Amino acid sequence: MAEVDTKRPLLDYRPADGYFDELVAADGSPRPHAQALAAALDAIGPSQLVDAGRRRDTIFVQQGITFDTTGEDGPTVERPFPLDLVPRILPASEWTHIKRGLAQRIRALNRFVDDVYHAREIVRAGVVPWRLVVSRSHFARAAHGIRPPGGVYCHVAGCDLVRDVDGSWKVLEDNVRTPSGISYVLENRVAMTRLLPGLFSAYRVRPVDHYPQLLLAALRSVAPAAEGEATVVVWTPGHLNSAYFEHAFLARQMGVELVEASDLVVRDDVVYMRTTNGLQRVHAIYRRLDDDFIDPLEFRPDSVLGVPGLMRAYRAGTVALANAIGTGVADDKAIYHYVPEMIRFYLNEEPMLDNVTTYLMSDPEAMEAALKRMDELVFKPTGESGGKGVFIGPENDAPTLAGLADVIRHSPDKWIAQEVVRLSTMPTADSTGALSPRHVDLRPFAVFGETISIVPGGLSRVAMIEGSMIVNSSRGGGSKDTWVLEDGEDRSDDAAPARPESLPPALPDLRYGAWTGQQQQQQQQQCSPG
Amino acid sequence: MLARIAQELFWLGRNLARAEHTARLLEGVFQADLQGRPEGQISATTLSWESLMHIMGGRRDREVSDGRDAVLDALTHDPDNPASVVACVMRAREGASAVRDVISAEMWEAINTTHLRLRGGEFVPRDKTGHYDIYQHVRERSALFWGLTARTMLRDEASAFLLAGGRIEAGDMVLRMLRVALPDVPDGNQADGQALALLQAVGGFQAYRRAVPAPAHAKPVARFLLFERNYPDSVAASVDAVNASLRTADSRPRASEPILRLSRLSADLEFRRSAETDADMRVTCHEVQRELGLVDGDIAQRYFGGARAA
Repeated sequence: MAEVDTKRPLLDYRPADGYFDELVAADGSPRPHAQALAAALDAIGPSQLVDAGRRRDTIFVQQGITFDTTGEDGPTVERPFPLDLVPRILPASEWTHIKRGLAQRIRALNRFVDDVYHAREIVRAGVVPWRLVVSRSHFARAAHGIRPPGGVYCHVAGCDLVRDVDGSWKVLEDNVRTPSGISYVLENRVAMTRLLPGLFSAYRVRPVDHYPQLLLAALRSVAPAAEGEATVVVWTPGHLNSAYFEHAFLARQMGVELVEASDLVVRDDVVYMRTTNGLQRVHAIYRRLDDDFIDPLEFRPDSVLGVPGLMRAYRAGTVALANAIGTGVADDKAIYHYVPEMIRFYLNEEPMLDNVTTYLMSDPEAMEAALKRMDELVFKPTGESGGKGVFIGPENDAPTLAGLADVIRHSPDKWIAQEVVRLSTMPTADSTGALSPRHVDLRPFAVFGETISIVPGGLSRVAMIEGSMIVNSSRGGGSKDTWVLEDGEDRSDDAAPARPESLPPALPDLRYGAWTGQQQQQQQQQCSPG
Repeated sequence: MLARIAQELFWLGRNLARAEHTARLLEGVFQADLQGRPEGQISATTLSWESLMHIMGGRRDREVSDGRDAVLDALTHDPDNPASVVACVMRAREGASAVRDVISAEMWEAINTTHLRLRGGEFVPRDKTGHYDIYQHVRERSALFWGLTARTMLRDEASAFLLAGGRIEAGDMVLRMLRVALPDVPDGNQADGQALALLQAVGGFQAYRRAVPAPAHAKPVARFLLFERNYPDSVAASVDAVNASLRTADSRPRASEPILRLSRLSADLEFRRSAETDADMRVTCHEVQRELGLVDGDIAQRYFGGARAA
């Protein structure tokens, strides 16, 4: 592996100036953990990469791992999920740091949700203004005073991380409502082992396929039922939802029912599903739709996706919802600003992962300062997710920004401004198999049951357009398989990892049956007239 | 029907089932081997390249080293290794050609095409170690063959022997896998990524998820693969299927040793399932496999005119 070709390393890859490249250092040589990968990629070459890309598209289309994009004015097109074939590698030590930082953050967010619907200690201590909390669009009055089993609200969380110019990890966004993408993490890994198994040969990569088990165990642990008897379901808005693939994927992997609203019914504050055997009690619901839609009696009365009476059952404690009602208040972008303070307040710890510098537009001084340098900042609406309504200052013209300034002045509560993060880059293959730098982020997925477990790696999203920092798949972003290495990265180091040193039992020989022996075959052939 | 034809059909079924199970097993081990272990979990089951050679039995015409590439090569497309996928398909095709008048034309074509494409050089491993295409091919074509059998072949004695062969081999292969992969430590309830690989190797992952509430640990997985009659590839289901096939073929089933033996084995599996004891699974597997071996001998004795399996 030391014999990396220094003249033409990594298929002529040139990192972009002014950004942190995760695979190669500034001088163009692969970073230590990436040397074997670079050599393997060189050995594969562009034409094989293109070939593997074609097979990837075929496999994804055949397996239905696709998403719909709508053309400018054309019909909806079904495209294979975009997976870039150059994996992203995180050494064990780096991952340990991320993992601890995330667990810390999620613990704090969970405490925060509990607090705002109960004692409001953080408000009384003057850390977070109450006016800001109640004005959040996802603040749920209906959740007041309800404490779910184990005090866990954010059963499933996905935080978006980015890497700044100096290589340090920062949290860009918290998703504690219904973060999606985990199915792609699992499918990407399966695809990579099939398409380019050679890339794995120098590494021991931590597997990700136990996520459904973790999720199921977490859901069972919070279900109000006796051990081992809990009925868990995944609740999807329906097969037209853009994340339906993931809903079905999780239900199948966990071996539980995938239900829609019409399958659920509440009787006497207990949730049931309609089965061929009559009503069957449901103990835990992994719901993939927002609070607003789940119960027309409590939230939006026009919701046809909801189950009337569900909130009554939830309040009575006969059913667990994951995530709990009201968690949306914690992933609001204005609340995000306070997360480091929350960590200090609730946990008495220093945050291990920093925020991106953020200005609240509800603060008049900060607003005026931000509006003066609009072309240098990013403006985000607080209650949205998935990159909706985000304005990147340097990429917009003056009239647009002037219009935006009016909107922000009108409702400053609903906006934040952030410094532009210079996202790190990774070599990414284009349609000719050549590698060029593209910006990436990382969304690890955490499951909070009895403890917090985080699946090694997560979804790396990559902007497929040069220079672009928009990584959302709905806007043309792709993804990368993310490898977290085991300690002792080199495979040769850990000879036969901890396998029981016993000889396998002596099995009987395979049997082979044949009526006609070789000799007879030959004679048959000789007998036949030429 | 002719004893010779019956035996050819029986072995046609066996060879095809062996090819499919070997392909699935290799794919499962390959996938599991590429990745490390989940954090903080130890492996209670062992599925490794060395153990693969053990699964395929002692009969090796030449010594193969235990490295990954050597094992993959030997068991995938080495025509000279009788246990390889390619060799199994080749024998199945030879067998099929000997009974072309008995099986349907579509069945013959399915198996012949499978063989021809395997030998046609279409499946050159691309990335040196990737054999995924071959395994997928064998899986799909084998499903096609059995589907056509169900759809186009008269359900007579001939189809009974074909099915009996396929199912007895399936049972034997699953037992081989279990015996090698099962832990010899008594605590098989450890969380375990390898048991998952075992399930995926036989294609039973989703079925397990739906049937068993427990996580995929070594012990519940082994119980599932041994006893769960509702899962078509479990040992119990295979034993029952062989039994049912032979009953349709035999004119005097109540005097038939293989049928009596299979019925006893079937009941025995049910007893062991409900006993819930901590009896060593490996002992159970060993005994069941020995019994299946005796059944095989009985079948040759009773139906194939004493033409013992070579």
